[in-house]
Amino acid sequence: MNVLLLLAIILFVLMIVIGGRKGARSFISLFLNFLVVMFAVWIMTDPHTNPIILTIIACTIISSINLFYINQVNSKTITAFIATIVTIIILIIFIYIITKKAMIQGFGEEEVDEISIFSLYLGVDFVKVGAAVIIMSTIGAITDVSISITSPMREVFRHHPNISQKDLFFSGLTIGRDILGSNTNTLFFAFIGGYMGLLLWFKDLSYSFGQIANSKVFSAEMITIFCAGIGIALIVPIAAWINAFYLVKRREKANTT
Amino acid sequence: MKALIKTFKQLTYKQIIFYILLLLSVVGSLVFVYNNYAFYDRPIAKVIESQTEETTNVTDQYGNEDTMTIQNITAELKNGEQKKEHIQLKNEYSITGAYDQPLETGNELFVSIDKDSVGEKQLTGSITDIKRDKYIVVTAWIFILVLLLVGKRQGLFASVSLAINLIILSYALDLNVKTGMNLLWIAAVTVILFTVISLLLVNGFNEKTYAAILATLLGTFSSLLITYIAMTLTSDTGLHYEEMQFLTRPYRLVFLAGLFIGSLGAVMDVAITMSSAIFELYEKDHHISVKALKTSALDIGKDIMGTMTNILFFAYISGSMPMLILYLKNYSPLGFTLSMNLSLELARALAGGIGIVLTIPIGLYISIFFVNRKRAKL
Repeated sequence: MNVLLLLAIILFVLMIVIGGRKGARSFISLFLNFLVVMFAVWIMTDPHTNPIILTIIACTIISSINLFYINQVNSKTITAFIATIVTIIILIIFIYIITKKAMIQGFGEEEVDEISIFSLYLGVDFVKVGAAVIIMSTIGAITDVSISITSPMREVFRHHPNISQKDLFFSGLTIGRDILGSNTNTLFFAFIGGYMGLLLWFKDLSYSFGQIANSKVFSAEMITIFCAGIGIALIVPIAAWINAFYLVKRREKANTT
Repeated sequence: MKALIKTFKQLTYKQIIFYILLLLSVVGSLVFVYNNYAFYDRPIAKVIESQTEETTNVTDQYGNEDTMTIQNITAELKNGEQKKEHIQLKNEYSITGAYDQPLETGNELFVSIDKDSVGEKQLTGSITDIKRDKYIVVTAWIFILVLLLVGKRQGLFASVSLAINLIILSYALDLNVKTGMNLLWIAAVTVILFTVISLLLVNGFNEKTYAAILATLLGTFSSLLITYIAMTLTSDTGLHYEEMQFLTRPYRLVFLAGLFIGSLGAVMDVAITMSSAIFELYEKDHHISVKALKTSALDIGKDIMGTMTNILFFAYISGSMPMLILYLKNYSPLGFTLSMNLSLELARALAGGIGIVLTIPIGLYISIFFVNRKRAKL
């Protein structure tokens, strides 16, 4: 039997036992997200498509799965969704500039032996693919932070129906601050865990500090971690502001009619 | 403007000193990293002129079209004996840019100087790598500043805990390389250190944190055990270790150690969410029944289960995208491409998911145990 299949079955059973119906939905969402990523990769192989626009579309679908399918469609998830998309667009511009400047796209010299049998001239712009990789690796965390902000903000609004937009915004910021650390940590360990082999490689072959800091694979990894952290921090004020704006506008509307 | 002056006046001396130190370290490190040529043994050159020599259209055996461009580069050496001399370089790049890149004025490169051109009228050489250190530093500062701006005190703690974790990790790997101690044992010790430090730093010394630490450790260790048993039972069928790049040592051990550390952050997050929720419910109502605690905490657990597994999933899977594109464009069969490039990432994501889901009941019962103990003391 295949390890992956066995692990998937274990995870599925655990999710249903502990999470019930919601657990089943979480598992299905993982599967759907996998399909979206694979489909996006498949379209990216066509040189005429723009990987960045494709990524934004893929992120839109992924965040609708994470927000609307696992939770329901309601004002909390809708504002979280808008905040996610706004953050993604701002972030992807920044990431694209950094990827291009630092030239961290594609493969490093440590990887090139292994892929020497392949043709590297494909016509697909790997700078854009590189930016897509970074943004995709944070999309899960970004949707998580945005829903973790908008949903308690609704509770605050319900308990203080006359709160001003500014106060509501600041209460959103306070909520966001509390989850900032744990979310950056989650991504940090995930990336580090994936790159254990690389770190050991550097140590085993006694790379100098200068060689490590300038190598493509290491720079790409560090820049990914930092950009992921920037994304998580950026969504906090964006989600808080959009949600505060929306809730107060809705109250005004209800008052005038 | 008045508001700005007002906020300035409200600053305490501690804050002013902190901001000044911050500003100094930003400026200092940037000045350093933009002028640190002398610290490198390898020759560094800065591009002062680049000219396109010729472009050719190429088509590979699979019909992929690309354009190759050859650039003639004049660059100025920044360190070593030939400092300030000009060097002539050639750069070839494709539209794909998977292993090459266009160069423009201002780019800094590591070069090797041709031995026989030394002393001649014109130095020649070849490009070995790009100088990337400054971009890491710039992104790191943007990250820290955004974190401070949004998170204030919590942002500071978050960046400090990341820095401490990086130092511990680097030290632990050094220890492994130098003493040859078993990687899994080292990983286990670092996992305990990471957990204790990160959770104490952010949440302080209290029972809530102790419960979370215990739950995190139990959750990670049991998820590793389950994954290990699953791997042994199936004798690793379906795992393609050959895709693991950068291997200098037994791959299975490296993979397990990575698994161990990789899911830790997510598990910690779940554990602290569960224990905070339970302790908060208890603080609000000291007579709350164990059953009521269980139901509300389990509801919270169900809410975070999906998003947390998704975070890990995307963090692991996305990195394979360039490799997948490379395989597919070289007309590798779809099944082969997926199993070659995703088996380890999927195993990591699934194992992490198991850790996350297991930590929900583990965190629940440990926190309730602590709450009951507290209640008995009253």
